Amino acid sequence: MTTTAIPTARERAEATTPKRRPQREREGAAWVFLSPWVLGASVLTLLPMAVSLYLSFTDYNLFDPPHWVGLRNYTQMFTEDPRYWRSVLTTVTYVVIAVPLQLALALVVALALKSMKRGKAFYRSAFYAPSLLGASMSIALVWRAVFNDGGTVDNLLGTGGWVNQPGWSLLAVALLTVWQFGAPMVIFLAGLQQIPAELYEAAAVDGAGRWRQFLSVTVPMLSPVLFFNLVLQTIQAFQVFTPAFAVSAGKGGPADSTLVYTMYLYDRGFVASHMGYASAMAWVLLLVIGVVTAVLFRTSRSWVFYASEGDR
Amino acid sequence: MPGHRTKGFCASAVALALCALAAGCGGSGESVGGGKAVLRYTWWGNPDRAERTEKTVALFEKQHPDISVQTSFSGYDAYKQKLAVQASGGDAPDVMQLDYRQIDQYASGGVLLDLAKQKTVLRTAGIDSGLLATGRVDGVQYAIPQGRGTETVVYDVKTWKDSGVPLPRAGWTWSQWASSVRELADKTGKPGATDPGQSEDAFEVWLRGRGKALYTRSGELGFTADDLARWWTFTDGLRREGAVSPAEQTTQLDGSVENTPLGRGKAVSDTNWDAPSSGYLAIVPTGIALAPMPSGSDGTPGQYFKPSMFLGVSAHTGHAKEAAQLVDFLLNDPGAAKILGVTRGIPVNETIRTDTAPLLKDFDKTVADYQASLEGKLKDPPQAPPSGDNALQTTFQRDYDQVSYERMTPREAAENYVTEAKAELRS
Amino acid sequence: MTTTAFARKPVRWSRVALHLGCLAALLVMLYPLAWLLATSLKPADEVIASLDLLPSHLEWSNYGTAFEGVNDVSVWRLLSNSLLIAGGAVLGNVISCSLAAYAFARLRFRFRGPMFAFMIATIMLPHHAILIPQYIIFNQLGLVNTYWPLILPKFLATEAFFVFLIVQFMRGLPRELEEAARIDGCGPFRSFFQIVLPLTRPALITTAIFTFIWTWNDFFTQLIYLFDPDKFTLTLALRSFVDASSQSAFGPMFAMSVIALLPIVLFFLAFQRFLVEGMASSGLKG
Repeated sequence: MTTTAIPTARERAEATTPKRRPQREREGAAWVFLSPWVLGASVLTLLPMAVSLYLSFTDYNLFDPPHWVGLRNYTQMFTEDPRYWRSVLTTVTYVVIAVPLQLALALVVALALKSMKRGKAFYRSAFYAPSLLGASMSIALVWRAVFNDGGTVDNLLGTGGWVNQPGWSLLAVALLTVWQFGAPMVIFLAGLQQIPAELYEAAAVDGAGRWRQFLSVTVPMLSPVLFFNLVLQTIQAFQVFTPAFAVSAGKGGPADSTLVYTMYLYDRGFVASHMGYASAMAWVLLLVIGVVTAVLFRTSRSWVFYASEGDR
Repeated sequence: MPGHRTKGFCASAVALALCALAAGCGGSGESVGGGKAVLRYTWWGNPDRAERTEKTVALFEKQHPDISVQTSFSGYDAYKQKLAVQASGGDAPDVMQLDYRQIDQYASGGVLLDLAKQKTVLRTAGIDSGLLATGRVDGVQYAIPQGRGTETVVYDVKTWKDSGVPLPRAGWTWSQWASSVRELADKTGKPGATDPGQSEDAFEVWLRGRGKALYTRSGELGFTADDLARWWTFTDGLRREGAVSPAEQTTQLDGSVENTPLGRGKAVSDTNWDAPSSGYLAIVPTGIALAPMPSGSDGTPGQYFKPSMFLGVSAHTGHAKEAAQLVDFLLNDPGAAKILGVTRGIPVNETIRTDTAPLLKDFDKTVADYQASLEGKLKDPPQAPPSGDNALQTTFQRDYDQVSYERMTPREAAENYVTEAKAELRS
Repeated sequence: MTTTAFARKPVRWSRVALHLGCLAALLVMLYPLAWLLATSLKPADEVIASLDLLPSHLEWSNYGTAFEGVNDVSVWRLLSNSLLIAGGAVLGNVISCSLAAYAFARLRFRFRGPMFAFMIATIMLPHHAILIPQYIIFNQLGLVNTYWPLILPKFLATEAFFVFLIVQFMRGLPRELEEAARIDGCGPFRSFFQIVLPLTRPALITTAIFTFIWTWNDFFTQLIYLFDPDKFTLTLALRSFVDASSQSAFGPMFAMSVIALLPIVLFFLAFQRFLVEGMASSGLKG
């Protein structure tokens, strides 16, 4: 057995991609394509972001004009607010539980569906069904009933209720997210569909078994999509709000065990009317997510493969 | 250069937005509509309240052909949030329903109109002066109470009677209440009451029974860590005995009656506000009754008639007079009262209260009778709580969670709370 | 289909096991949905309190109440409002996000790197932090209480999620297609519309489906920007059955959430089959 016998998808694409020349002439066209985004990003995103950055250095109670307090919000957050640190810990725990579980489930189901000949449409729809609901009020009530003491999970596992025990409640929240794995699943499926069938044929001709085909065709060809899902699910998980809000009825309980970062941010900003403090929290989160994402992008160079760019 | 243009544009746009923010911006009260004054009126509530309100507003429009009223409503939590965004965006509706806890913040934030300026059209003579004062901040009448409610011990009548424990009676004290719930737990095998430790409202009743208050007149904390530690030691002790609901039950409270231990059939009684208690009727099939809240050991009553909601007018309204007319109509018009019934609590206008009392049926009558039994016995309500109270209500419940899940002693949690509360009230 | 070469030896038992595994997983996954359906038929005293799956008797009146709508606005009105918003959002996202994505994925221009980084960064700020500034902007534009704040941002590609999604798909397309087209004299516009767009169809369909569902369920934005009950959506109306300060109508709320679920189920069923026709079957080879 040699590993070099089969050309990987990467090598194949590389071989067929001609060298490109800079496309300066397309600069004008690029701005036409970008114009809606530029307008939206500057007026509806950059401007509000700038305002919230400014607010993070102020004391702003939503009604009176904001007044400048320098770094006070930030120092208060880091040094005087134990609940803040608890929410950080809760959020990190959540990210570590929910993201790998959800992605793994979505990928496994997508692969299972891909290799299926009959009933594909049925399964795809059925597995997606939970994701249609979002974290609506009714699904929150269902979740609390299923994970309550005397509820289905308690009856089956004898663990007692999950939503009302501080040690279990975050898991119930994470499971709500994992349960709605439809979005990454559909993205995986779309990615799998995009892989040209002739790559598999060629690999099969070269004598690759299924596992080998998976490693040398599926994985590299799916890597942009895998990367997309990983980055987006991580970003979204750091910002998790709705499932925690829904399952804990907006309280983050029991005993702050589901008080995730954005829920505490919301609480500070809209319940306690400390919008300056909430904005500071938002910017710290942005920085943290930014660093995590940058690290992911950095590592992506070694494992994400773009057919259009070949390997450099 | 596209880049440079973008930068310049952004800089000026940021400046623009900040100016708008600082000015609190106007922009409310668009008055077009065929020469009619158009008012926006919002409230929170359920579909039943919406239907009655719509009818009342239609009657108002009939009597005032020159005014047209646009109404909108949502559930309580959603409403609070929406109103906060609207108000901070300078876009508060002309007439808005307000909660006790919102008044101070909205008034001092310049959102609300001084209603005394409209007293030619807005009559307040029919309202008890103590109650009316709850809508005042720094001596200015920013809001008018629209209905009143008071707290109650609501209980499952059959279970309580069958247990043989003496029924609650007027003037009972907290220690009598405690021995009742203990006995109930003994006899019925389920907790006698919801753990009241998590409720800032219940604590206030207990505190007032001891001659203190949540907040002083100047908006500072009206009690010490000792007081709170004593209250939490009291409730936590009962919880440990199994006399009141365990933490796993208490934590599921979300404001709906369905998720209270009583509503789930896991406790014999609950402390709640009187009018919302009607919800128990549908889910406690054996029937419920209302009893007064326990009082202090010397008989000092802690509960009070609290405005269940207020009406306020936006400071930026283009139609102050018309808005005041609508408020007056909702509060004082007999025709309106007939349609509205007690959907917003027992009416505050005393003539209307007396006139509508005989017309009430079912649970509305139960609530009216309950309030009548307390008439004249309770002390004046406190002034509207300072704006920090919005946050503290949640903090209170969170800190008690730490006690009931046995992660902190009552003393530690109380110290914590008092520190947080002082910081909150200072800012 | 050419994929037969992929599974050379059809192993029957592994197929059976696959189906059994999927069915078992589905049983667990769909259980909460069954609960939702069952609850929508429960009488009031069982909606929350009962921990049984099945109602003691079927309470169809929940649906009657739900169909009456809320506050004199019929359920059909609410439905068409929801459809209008979700439809507009789909159109906006598909058009604007694919345009921007093409520029980021395929064209060279100044500040591409920083602008792409900024676009990714916009996903990272919690939206609660920019809610009020955004509200002020729309209020200044006089667009509050219209559908514009819900639809306009989609036409301006503000949902970076989808831009990034389509970028990732476009980067997965072999570049030789466009190179060939360019040699034939195809400008960026023609090659976008005639070559890249058709090949990105799975991503576009994905964008359409997600946008529809997420907009449909987006309670919060609708709550903030819509005032007039005539303009309310199903999702907003759903919440008005529940008010913590007075008596809630959980039964009709569940009934209405089932009603609100139907259009998105139909939308998903209608469009999900287009997901299948990816590049593998779109005649790329020819």
